[in-house]
Amino acid sequence: MIKMEQINKVYRPHSNPVHALRDVSLHIEMGDFVAVMGPSGSGKSTLMNVMGCLDTPSSGSYWLGGVEVSSMNSDQLATVRNRKIGFVFQNYNLLPRMTALRNVELPMLYAGVDKEERKTRALDCIGRVGMLDRIDHRPSELSGGQCQRIAIARALVNNPDIILADEPTGNLDSVTSMEIMNIFRSLHQEHTTIVLVTHEEDIAAFARRVLHFRDGKLINDELPSSPHIKPSAVKGGEDI
Amino acid sequence: MNLGESIRVAWDSIRANMLRSILTTLGIMIGITAVIAVVAVGQGGQQSIMKEMEKFGSNLFQITVDWRRDELPTGREFTMNDIEIIKANVPELEYLLPCAQTYSTIKGRDKSKTAQILGTEADYARLHPLEITAGRFLTNSDCQGRRRVAVIDEEMAQELFPRASALGKRIVIGNQPLVICGLVKAESSPFSMGIKYVYIPTQVWLDIYPDGNISYIEGGTHSPEEVKVAMQNSIKILERRHHSKDIYQGFDLEQQVQAVNKVTGVMTLVIAIIAGFSLLVGGIGVMNIMLVSVTERTREIGLRMALGARRRDILIQFLIEAIVLCLLGGVIGMTLGIGGAFLISALAKWPPLISWTTVLLAFAFSAAIGIIFGILPANQAANLDPIEALRRD
Ligand SMILES: Nc1ncnc2c1ncn2[C@@H]1O[C@H](COP(=O)(O)OP(=O)(O)OP(=O)(O)O)[C@@H](O)[C@H]1O
Ligand SMILES: [Mg+2]
Repeated sequence: MIKMEQINKVYRPHSNPVHALRDVSLHIEMGDFVAVMGPSGSGKSTLMNVMGCLDTPSSGSYWLGGVEVSSMNSDQLATVRNRKIGFVFQNYNLLPRMTALRNVELPMLYAGVDKEERKTRALDCIGRVGMLDRIDHRPSELSGGQCQRIAIARALVNNPDIILADEPTGNLDSVTSMEIMNIFRSLHQEHTTIVLVTHEEDIAAFARRVLHFRDGKLINDELPSSPHIKPSAVKGGEDI
Repeated sequence: MNLGESIRVAWDSIRANMLRSILTTLGIMIGITAVIAVVAVGQGGQQSIMKEMEKFGSNLFQITVDWRRDELPTGREFTMNDIEIIKANVPELEYLLPCAQTYSTIKGRDKSKTAQILGTEADYARLHPLEITAGRFLTNSDCQGRRRVAVIDEEMAQELFPRASALGKRIVIGNQPLVICGLVKAESSPFSMGIKYVYIPTQVWLDIYPDGNISYIEGGTHSPEEVKVAMQNSIKILERRHHSKDIYQGFDLEQQVQAVNKVTGVMTLVIAIIAGFSLLVGGIGVMNIMLVSVTERTREIGLRMALGARRRDILIQFLIEAIVLCLLGGVIGMTLGIGGAFLISALAKWPPLISWTTVLLAFAFSAAIGIIFGILPANQAANLDPIEALRRD
């Protein structure tokens, strides 16, 4: 599904360069659930941006679904983001003037999906996150956890190959965090590929595999410390 | 993203800042209002003038004395003999009428009125579409026989003789008694200013006003193509007979139309310049507010890009927003302009003329301003870096 080889990302390469990613090589299989951990500034968000085709690496190769994306132009990258990637953000990033339903429909507008199907698919995804009773609410009328559910529905709506979630529970209390993580777990059980950044061990514990970063380097690729899923189902760490 | 959806997004964003949006489009609004109102009133006026002139007929001409000369006219520029000579020497002519006019009092039995006393010939009725409501117009035998008869305005007749028909009644002009032989309906036009006419034979007019003179001559040709030649030849004969040059001035329909167009052309230019400046200022206002909008919505732009919007999708979205904003101003301006046109016209007493072309042009113009002044902010939005934009708050 995802294959990165010798990925480097250097910010401000000419004056005072910052090596956000150093020689990162990794492989994520279809249907995997990966947590990314590491101290602040270790390059987790940078990794997600590269993975999400929002940013291009300074060097190295990146294959997404068998396609090399590091050499694509901005229009091609936009199409890849639209069709293959679903983003979930820490601060939800819902458009304030639109209802929940229209927020979820947004990615399909850029995919050219017709009106009828937009609505059907949006309602289906909103149903999967249990928010059907709130479709005509605006983000300001929803709680943080509800916003994040809508954001997850939005990430799902174009049937992406992979969901990228950068600290999706960072703004939520622990109870709500668990509710959100349960949604991720059920998505995982429906064979969605998920990469999720977190600072918290109990969030990472939902994943099948944890990548540890420090100073832009992938330093450890291991099983979660307190597995929520049976060890027999775990199949990670052999890629690197 | 399709057009309908882009318009919806644009409208949502405009509505969210309604007051700001309206204020922004004020310049465009005023510009469009001015253009629509003035053009509608101007065209209405022009149309009224044209209608007036078309009544005059395309195979007609008038020869008058050129008032722009340094010398004052002596009053001897036209004689009855001139008329005969011209008639005999210009074969293209079908009619040639000596017309003498003065503004004077006419007395009925116990009332009097003032009217334009026009001395003319029987053929006048063939050159001008007069509506005879009772009796008859002047005849050739009236004119040749110097009969003391008059054709007067119907309304005036009613006022002079309220009890019975004015036909056959006696009126006095100067100190000559005349018999009313016909009534005409006043030509209703905004330019007649309510002046009433009394038509009498030219010779009779000259008898009443022995010091008076023929004021102008009016000619009609067999076909409109002959007008120019007939007019020029008539003027040549007059100049030869009076040993003068540049005294006479000929008018035909074409020249009058040109004169009117020249006036309206200048008016249009002045309005265009004013409107141009107003729209320029309005456009800059729109550009300014669009730049603000782009800054305010940087995160939205970043998000849309993350969700798969290409640069051109963002560009089009903001361009459409600028266009919708301008069209909003344009539509409000149009409404105000049309309202204003009716108001001015009600005061000026001629109907406004609101043509589809004007409305379409105003519409297209508003949209064009949107595109021209929206391109810079839209381009700025489209060139944002998605990560940077998403991080902005
Ligand atoms: N646009 C940029 N220009 C310069 N340096 C940058 C830029 N973006 C990130 N960096 C640097 O790259 C490094 C990695 O940043 P990144 O955002 O990936 O960290 P992170 O692991 O997500 O941290 P956190 O846990 O705090 O979110 C940091 O040192 C950061 O300062
Ligand atoms: Mg981060």
